[in-house]
Amino acid sequence: MLVITRKPEQSIVIGGEVEVVVLGISKDGVRLGIKAPRSVQVHRREVFDAIAAENKAATATRVPLQDAAALLRAAQGNPKKDR
Amino acid sequence: MTHDPTPAPADDGVLLTFPKGLVGFPQHKAFRLFEPNDGYPLKFLQSVDAQDVSFTCIDPVSIKQDYEVPLGAEDSEALRLESPEDAMVLTLVVIPDDARQMTTNLAGPLVINAKTKIGYQIVLNTETYPLRFPILTKD
Repeated sequence: MLVITRKPEQSIVIGGEVEVVVLGISKDGVRLGIKAPRSVQVHRREVFDAIAAENKAATATRVPLQDAAALLRAAQGNPKKDR
Repeated sequence: MTHDPTPAPADDGVLLTFPKGLVGFPQHKAFRLFEPNDGYPLKFLQSVDAQDVSFTCIDPVSIKQDYEVPLGAEDSEALRLESPEDAMVLTLVVIPDDARQMTTNLAGPLVINAKTKIGYQIVLNTETYPLRFPILTKD
């Protein structure tokens, strides 16, 4: 991993079109500003990981889909609770 | 990863392309979406090139009527949506061994251009959109 020291208002450029600017540093964290083309998706790592984990969980089903579907149809036949 | 048994398709379904794959599955881009026999309201998204990569999904509006995906300009651009009606939205369903606890991920919907059959998984704010929205009403 490349490690670079930056001060507030300094930045790094990645691949010529993505720029990460250090906006501020406090005891709670570092504020970053990211300038990137619209085609580049920027996500917090933990959100990305959580969605990847849910995707993985969605592939690992032992219950036959028909059984789950029957449960759902039965539930939808009942009056729905508000939520 | 087990998928047992793979449901029989009721029809050939529709071929979809996810140019970036799904989150965590970037290498799988071609999928077939179909509704298995006796599968309503669930659908099945099967990777064309990997039999063991498949997802159960659902039209989220059938379980949460007011669900809407806030599409950013970049998403709309990538999807090349001419009108919102062209967007097909699916969310992935996680079915645990106790199927009554099944949930759907409202934070990572699949948005597909129904005309071009090209889709992307959109990553939303997990504080607003639950990762594990219970599908069956809580008792």
